[in-house]
Amino acid sequence: MANSKAPVTRESIDRLCALADLSLPGERRDALVAPFGGLVAAANALSRKMAEASRRGVLPITRFPER
Amino acid sequence: MAQSDLLTLTIAQAAPKLERGELSPVDLTDAMLQRIGAVNKQLNAYITVCDQQARDAAQAVERLIHAGYYLGPLTGIPIALKDNIYTRGIRTTAGAKILSDFVPDEDATVTARLRRAGAIIVGKTNMHEFAWGGTTDNPHYGTCRNPWNPERFPAGSSGGSGAAVAARTCLSALGTDTGGSIRLPSAVNGIVGIRPTIGRVSNYNVVPLAWTMDTVSPMTRTVEDCLTVFEVIAGYDPLDAHSAQVPLSDYRVEMGRGMRGLRIGLIRDYSLTHVQQAVGDAVRAALRTMERLGAQIEEIPMPSIHGNISAQLTIESCEPSTYHQEWLRTRPQDYGEDVRTLLEMGEMYLATHYLQAQRYRSVLRKEFLAGFSQVDVFVTPTLPFTATPCGATEVVIENDRKEDMLSAIMQFTGVPSLAGLPALSLPVGFDPDGMPVGMQVIGRPFDEGTLFRIGHAYQGETDWHTRTPRV
Repeated sequence: MANSKAPVTRESIDRLCALADLSLPGERRDALVAPFGGLVAAANALSRKMAEASRRGVLPITRFPER
Repeated sequence: MAQSDLLTLTIAQAAPKLERGELSPVDLTDAMLQRIGAVNKQLNAYITVCDQQARDAAQAVERLIHAGYYLGPLTGIPIALKDNIYTRGIRTTAGAKILSDFVPDEDATVTARLRRAGAIIVGKTNMHEFAWGGTTDNPHYGTCRNPWNPERFPAGSSGGSGAAVAARTCLSALGTDTGGSIRLPSAVNGIVGIRPTIGRVSNYNVVPLAWTMDTVSPMTRTVEDCLTVFEVIAGYDPLDAHSAQVPLSDYRVEMGRGMRGLRIGLIRDYSLTHVQQAVGDAVRAALRTMERLGAQIEEIPMPSIHGNISAQLTIESCEPSTYHQEWLRTRPQDYGEDVRTLLEMGEMYLATHYLQAQRYRSVLRKEFLAGFSQVDVFVTPTLPFTATPCGATEVVIENDRKEDMLSAIMQFTGVPSLAGLPALSLPVGFDPDGMPVGMQVIGRPFDEGTLFRIGHAYQGETDWHTRTPRV
């Protein structure tokens, strides 16, 4: 998952299914590679921005209205 | 009144007639039920029509009015509810096969408040399955269609509510909005819809999509009607853990204050960027109208605005997949293909992706709150394109480039959802094919009043909201 050039492969889908205890037929795993690859590439780009030193103090919002 | 005249009434027009006994709630309800019967085969806006319950309720309300117990401006007003909002004794499917037999034994808080206010529930509206999508192309209950052109989509996920209001089958419908699901169908169906501040309207007994972003609110033809329904359903609910103990404003007084003196922000390189020509033209014309009415327009930088689509997709993937974890393992074949795929992918994100997206929300919210020191609201189009053909999964916005529908549709509506801000969509024109264009106005937390004020002043100067679709 760390390789930002090809973050998602069929093998990584297999590993994630195993980790999630999610049993999916082979054809469904194949079909997830491309769309999930796009989502993960975008999520990794956002993660890189959010991991910058200037943002170390930022807390997540998981509840509204903010308390 | 003739049935055709009854169909044109807004809540503001019908309510005084009902109060004075000049209009029967039974006649009004019958007119709406007949209209549903006439158009629902074509539009698929309703999953369940509550013929008998609605007629019984209308008769009961009529007796109350005759006895001198007028309950307020929703007394005898026919309203539809999106089918993920619990209705006691009435099937609530959330647009899903999995819940096709679910009949709640309890109302949602918003349903109970509407009933107590005398509203008549005429039916449960079609929606994208479990609200996870923006087209209302529902594989279990049929494709919902746009009354302005039934070959075009009504957007979603509250597409049935949008089509139902636009087609004059009810005077208002409730929708739910996580990343845009009220505002998107409001825009493409040419009606008004508001996403409230999270915590302003109770989510109790509403089938969730994403807990940290879900909201419930009204869709109507006018801003004034939107306010009328909003006033009834808004307010603290101890049954909802997210509910806010923030006092309601005197919205009706605020609404009447006009546009003068308001400062309207455009987000630099964002608000009018990457939109279809007709959408940009209509929103620019609306801004000129607002300026003419006394508002000032200012451009405000918002350095972190880009990144919103990924954050929304991440959160809207992970949270639903958590809720659906058991069903996805035991009944995967009962989901539609698109929702099943999204739920599968939502299981595969890393925890760090989810938390970085939630941290991004803090950054975005902070930039908005800083921007609100310079302006009262921000304006964007509601979505960057007008209604696409039913079944489309891609859309062209500019330069003949096809884009994925799900990401493209989130371009503007995801931002207030992430930042926890209220946002109003209202009609501001039509494209050359006669399809409506919507504009989004984003306000400060719990400042829905300013949104009603702007929308009402704009509708006082324009007639887009009075146009009638061809169906």
